[in-house]
Amino acid sequence: MRERLLSGFDPFVLPFMIGMCFVLLYCLVAFVRLMGQLSRKERRRFFRSLFIPKNIARNVRDIFCDCLLHVKLWKRNPRLGYMHSSIAFGWFMIILLGHIETFLFVPHRAGLFYYPIFFRYFMVMEGTELKGSLLFFLMDFFLAVILSGIALAVYKRIHRAFFGMRRTTRLSLIDLIGLYSLWAIFPLRWIAEGFTANVAGGSFMTIPINWLLRSFMSNPENITAAWWAYSIALGTFMCVLPYSRYMHIPAEMILIPMRNAGLKVRAARRGFALVQIKSCPGCGVCIDACPMGLAGKKNSMDASAYLARQIRRNNQKNYRDIADKCLMCGKCKAVCQVQFDSISVRRLIREAVPYKLAHDYSYLSSYVESGAVSAENPVEVLYYAGCMSAQTPVIPRSVQRLLDTANISYKLMDPDGSICCGRPLILAGRSSQARELIRSNTRIIHSSGCKILIVSCPICYRMFREEYKLKGVQVLHYTEYFDMLIKEGRLAVRQGEERIAYHDPCELGRGCGIYNAPRRALSAAGSLVPVPKEKVESICCGGSLGSLTLSYQERSRIAVGSLKNLTANGPDLVVTACPLCLKTLADASDSTPVKDFAQVLCEHT
Amino acid sequence: MINKNIVIVGGGPAGLEAARTLRNAGLTPILLEGSDRLGGHLLEWDSLFPSNQKASEVLESLTADLEGIKWFTNSKVEEISRIKDIYLVRTSSGYTFQANAVLLTTGFSLFNATLKQELGYGIYDRVITNADMERYFATGEHPCIHEPKTIGFVHCVGSRDEKICNRACSKVCCATAIKQACHIKEKFPLAQVYCFYMDLRMFGRGWEDMYYNAQTKYGIRFVRGRVCEVSEGMDATLNIKAEDTLLGKPIRMKMDLLVLMSGIRPRKDTEDIASNLHIELGTDGFYSPRDPFIRTNESSNEGIFLAGTCTGPATLPETFSSARSAAARIIEYLESK
Repeated sequence: MRERLLSGFDPFVLPFMIGMCFVLLYCLVAFVRLMGQLSRKERRRFFRSLFIPKNIARNVRDIFCDCLLHVKLWKRNPRLGYMHSSIAFGWFMIILLGHIETFLFVPHRAGLFYYPIFFRYFMVMEGTELKGSLLFFLMDFFLAVILSGIALAVYKRIHRAFFGMRRTTRLSLIDLIGLYSLWAIFPLRWIAEGFTANVAGGSFMTIPINWLLRSFMSNPENITAAWWAYSIALGTFMCVLPYSRYMHIPAEMILIPMRNAGLKVRAARRGFALVQIKSCPGCGVCIDACPMGLAGKKNSMDASAYLARQIRRNNQKNYRDIADKCLMCGKCKAVCQVQFDSISVRRLIREAVPYKLAHDYSYLSSYVESGAVSAENPVEVLYYAGCMSAQTPVIPRSVQRLLDTANISYKLMDPDGSICCGRPLILAGRSSQARELIRSNTRIIHSSGCKILIVSCPICYRMFREEYKLKGVQVLHYTEYFDMLIKEGRLAVRQGEERIAYHDPCELGRGCGIYNAPRRALSAAGSLVPVPKEKVESICCGGSLGSLTLSYQERSRIAVGSLKNLTANGPDLVVTACPLCLKTLADASDSTPVKDFAQVLCEHT
Repeated sequence: MINKNIVIVGGGPAGLEAARTLRNAGLTPILLEGSDRLGGHLLEWDSLFPSNQKASEVLESLTADLEGIKWFTNSKVEEISRIKDIYLVRTSSGYTFQANAVLLTTGFSLFNATLKQELGYGIYDRVITNADMERYFATGEHPCIHEPKTIGFVHCVGSRDEKICNRACSKVCCATAIKQACHIKEKFPLAQVYCFYMDLRMFGRGWEDMYYNAQTKYGIRFVRGRVCEVSEGMDATLNIKAEDTLLGKPIRMKMDLLVLMSGIRPRKDTEDIASNLHIELGTDGFYSPRDPFIRTNESSNEGIFLAGTCTGPATLPETFSSARSAAARIIEYLESK
């Protein structure tokens, strides 16, 4: 194997080189700007993590598994996983093998960007060598893998149901240019390498095409044209890359080390959030997952993939609209391939909207001083029903009955109304206002002298877990507490005949990771029926406090859709453990009764 | 025209009045009622505002003379199909009727108050609805009404409420609430009666007088604001939270009885019938007339006519006039054929 051209250069490499240099320059500038956006502490943390061996190993593993092999996507949807990983991993291997070839055969050209890419144009094969043939075989093998991926990608545009997708991302013009140039790159490479296959050598992909189209391929004028076309496709792709969704390719390389360094989203459109937004590949997994899609066709444009796009475009009106409408159920985050923390981003966008009303906190002191709970006769267990449970009286009533049955001495934290836990304010992006409520509630809880705080509303529960610092007080959701009582034999539950479908409230399931306690307790009262989409995949009921602008009509359509999922296997009863879910689902249900967790246990004691 | 058939679906006030009018014009209408008695919601009501006439008297005069009307109870309509100009109406009793014109007088259903869980209907015994109250007036018995000292009436339950996706006003609950408030006050003169309202829509003839008397003669207190939460105290009294929007303050009260004024909602089968007959529904879920001014009794499908509250909330006199005008329109239609 030797070089065919002594100069080692041909003008056709220029489009590729322009694109390549542009991308590298863009990424460099973006990286410097990004570092400027991080706080000093974050920056230090990030750079330090790059030198910790454990982190290095994790970064390498994550980049390999997430970016190249798409392991998460394989688990979720094997066809889609194959499509993405064949292109990503195949391309990576071709580039890698190209570099190995250059190093092996023409080490003095190793510094040139274009040499490994257009290797076969510059080389002549003399005789056969084992390592050359092996490399050529591998190159052709991965080219075949990529082409199969591209074929699937083209087919996906025509028939997405084959991939189990109801909806897929609607592409913008620049994304389409990127997409078509990406599709063009590999067939053009195949043809270009086919032209030179009789000179530079090839393998099972390139040699047959050279034979098949000999009369056309043996014309030397066509050779340069083919290589030009290949280079132009590459150049176009790289030039549009920073402005299209394909920016996710370089962005993910930064995202993974930053995530492993433990950085958090602190600003909506800067720093770590910006890396996440740029890392969104628009794969469309969140679009089908988003409950908004149940509200109407146009509502699917509120999914996280479109939020990322509107932020990239800097379209303030649109991204604020999307951020305000979201139910904050967290499903998009749970299914996201790049773990885009869209919930925090939305919250921070809401926070950035100026809010001029003065707040009146004078009422707080009246609750703190009312002495509803006082230290005079401290009790072990304090029950906080919360304002949503006050709207569904069946819940506090059932909880109190169960506590009485189990002979627990307890006190009510809010018999005459309460101070809000603060979660609605946090969700609306008013965290500093929420602090006032947190302070007052903390004082009330501590003054009661309780050891256990039971909460029946998952919204409050998540708030107490995440935002309160209650030293010496164990916060339990009532599902956990009653599950514990049943396990310890302090609460006897009679086994019934009913077939129960359990709905995971977003804040309890995805929010706090509690999936099994309610199921265990409920299976003591009846038999649980599997629900097609449950646990992490559970569909928001539509009643969430998270949305600021969603209309009740849209919400009720989501509720009907969510209920359809719950009743798919014909349960006698739908049970949930959240006052808001209870209200929303009960309104939407015509035939199957919807009951609360405590209510069902109560009926079986 | 005399041998033309007309099927009326629904034996409530509208259906009965339309049947009578058609009969008086020399026709033989067929009246189908799904339940076992004619009369519809009139059967459940004790007295009618503003005159306080007994509902049973009105019903009696409607059903006194059914000569010439073929009426069938326990005959739920299962399917209506069309062959050219003839409709075939199949009922649950196993009959199929041929009709040249079909009049829908299917009426409404009362809002299911258990859906407003925060008001505690179905959870607390002392929370009742307007229908329960009428039953109490008719029978004089209710397990939870013993000398109540404070009684609250909650207006607009299931009406004018974005949260249950119904912005529409039910038209009759304001007057019903005032009528019931005065009645209960007559029964328990020592009780304090409150009405929690958003607006008092006293548009009918004589209704303002009712409202005036309620304040001056009966001493009923009107609080402008919604009740938002109800909970039960130790002695089974109700603790309610509301807002007085005139004072701009949240208020709390203890109540011995809370009456929810359930509003008028479309019947559950409205949608099925509409899709079966290809007639249009309004966004509120009631049947849409072909024209809101002139052809109010015609549906978007030829030969299908509408009367009464199946086209939206209406008072009883409005229902009767709508039934009579539907009858007149049907006669015109059959003559033109």
